[in-house]
Amino acid sequence: MKVLALEDNKELAKSINDFLTLAGYICELVDTVEEAKDKLLSFSYDCILLDIMLPDGNGLDVLKFIKTENIKSGVLIISAKEALDDKIIGLEGGADDYLTKPFHLSELHARLRAIYRRKSLNGNNSNIITFNEISLNTDTFEAFINNQLLDITRKEFELLMYFMVNKNRVLSRQAIAAHLWGDYTDNLANLDFVYQHVKNLRKKISLINGVDYIDTIYGLGYRFKSTETEI
Amino acid sequence: MKLVDKLTLWLVGVVFLVTPISMVISYRSIRDNIRSAEITRLQDVNNKVAEQLKAGIPPHKYLLDRPIAIKQISAMPAQNTKASTYRFYNTELKRDECRLDVVSYYKINNLIYSVSTYNYVTRGELIIQGMMRALVWKMILIIGLVAISGRLISRYVLSPFQKTLEIIQAFSLRQKEKITLPLTSTTEFKQLNFFLKKMTDIALEDYSRVKEFSENASHEVQTPLAVIRSKLELLSETSISENQAVLIDDMQNAVEKLVRINRSLLLLTKLDNFEFEASESIRFCLITKEVLASFENWIQMKNLCITTNINNKVSLQIHSVLAEILVTNLISNAIRYNIDNGNIDVTLTSNSLIIKNTGLPPEIEPELLFRRFKKSNQSADSIGLGLSIVKQICTVNNFKVSYTFANGLHILQVNFAKVREVIEEPEENVEIVFNENTALA
Repeated sequence: MKVLALEDNKELAKSINDFLTLAGYICELVDTVEEAKDKLLSFSYDCILLDIMLPDGNGLDVLKFIKTENIKSGVLIISAKEALDDKIIGLEGGADDYLTKPFHLSELHARLRAIYRRKSLNGNNSNIITFNEISLNTDTFEAFINNQLLDITRKEFELLMYFMVNKNRVLSRQAIAAHLWGDYTDNLANLDFVYQHVKNLRKKISLINGVDYIDTIYGLGYRFKSTETEI
Repeated sequence: MKLVDKLTLWLVGVVFLVTPISMVISYRSIRDNIRSAEITRLQDVNNKVAEQLKAGIPPHKYLLDRPIAIKQISAMPAQNTKASTYRFYNTELKRDECRLDVVSYYKINNLIYSVSTYNYVTRGELIIQGMMRALVWKMILIIGLVAISGRLISRYVLSPFQKTLEIIQAFSLRQKEKITLPLTSTTEFKQLNFFLKKMTDIALEDYSRVKEFSENASHEVQTPLAVIRSKLELLSETSISENQAVLIDDMQNAVEKLVRINRSLLLLTKLDNFEFEASESIRFCLITKEVLASFENWIQMKNLCITTNINNKVSLQIHSVLAEILVTNLISNAIRYNIDNGNIDVTLTSNSLIIKNTGLPPEIEPELLFRRFKKSNQSADSIGLGLSIVKQICTVNNFKVSYTFANGLHILQVNFAKVREVIEEPEENVEIVFNENTALA
């Protein structure tokens, strides 16, 4: 996947770049609206990350530009502004998703994958995520291992999907909690809850003799390990 | 007491004080005037008699209807006219009479004569009585007119003041608009308006500056937090020892807490700014059910027994995001601060949402927990803004929220302002009971 990230904070941009490169993506960084427009006219990208507040303008202008130039890339807005208006304007303006800073890189990745699935695969099997013997149907929220239905809850499904998107990544319990329960809840106790969910998920997978890909990383969280990397 | 009443009372008081004095003064001056006029008249009679004596005409007993007495005396007194009052009781008319005697002395042909005459004059008491009667009327008229005109005039004169009061009463720092006070020609009101205008303008400016600062600060903090968070994630991808992993985890927890505090504070600021306008009513019952469903696992994990009694026809005018946050915060609190194997009872009617849960008694006054960063026990589990947000959401939506602890139950009750839509259908109550035997899904 080829990604263009428009982010004026160098450090954050570098983090995004590092993470996405590790995931095997091609990531290009720009930090001004003008540069972004130039790049967009010259190259094509699968996904565009847009910051809203930029030194030479507003990310929403780039969004308008993308729409008028009829660029087919998926757009994910990343903004420090949590104002609902921005969110609504962004989504109505044609953005595919909206993520507020500070986000977890694994969350960013999951959102990018989701956009990519919806956009690039043109609906063709786009609702199915597979890895080895595991396959997930994102429309029906059903998981199969060797074509055998895995009896899991919605949250466990989301958890498994999160793991599969972020293969070989260390997922902190904080990132998992934020992914599963959102940001608004004043719930730091959810970290134990993450443990319970992961435990249940692993138990259910082993119940139907699935391979347990989930590793516990001491002190940090979990990792879905596989030797392959997805491009 | 109203200003106009006070002024009226003072005015009436002054009138009451001044009237007796002025009455005494006018009584005296009337009496003296009558007396001196009468004396002059009688003196004139005496003079005429004296002229007749001088001309040698024997005087009559009456002159100009006045009875006259002429006497010869031996020596000329110092004053050539003497006036004296004589009071007696008139038995025929059965009243007191007052007679004024005027004696004049003349030297005619070396003989000294005293000529005296008298007349009846009006008694002082009669004058007083007359004045008293007038006084009563005068007082009634004065008080009545003062009271009526005071009210009418004050309505006119004080109207700029009243308007100022209304404007100040409606003034709120949050509305961001500077006040415009009515023009007035009264100096005091001009001063008052000037001060109020200056004061509120400064307050508005300061308030918006503080708010802008906290908003900007919160926004500015987001990006560095994002940097820290992303770097920690990348760091945890590198080969690290267990000790380092624990350190990273601690940092991640701290960052997490910062993120949540910051988000909650931003949310509170937005609530303060009324940024969540509820344009249409939403099915509050659906949101409550969704939130309950999302907590199902957690409830089961803590082995809580939950009973719900949710009216299916509850529509409220509230922003859907706020409704969700409101219910989520309340229910997550009810779960988090519950004891293992405890109970939660959720009741939603068209008028109120009541959440009761078992739990340890609060260490501080429950109502205090609505304050920012107030926690019953300072555990790291929460950041202490959940109930502040609940309170603020209730405030902007005109709901009333109360927190009580009784019989081992924490009771949080939200009373809705008014029900926008009542769907006229028989109520359908749903009872869902998760008990300890329900298997973990």
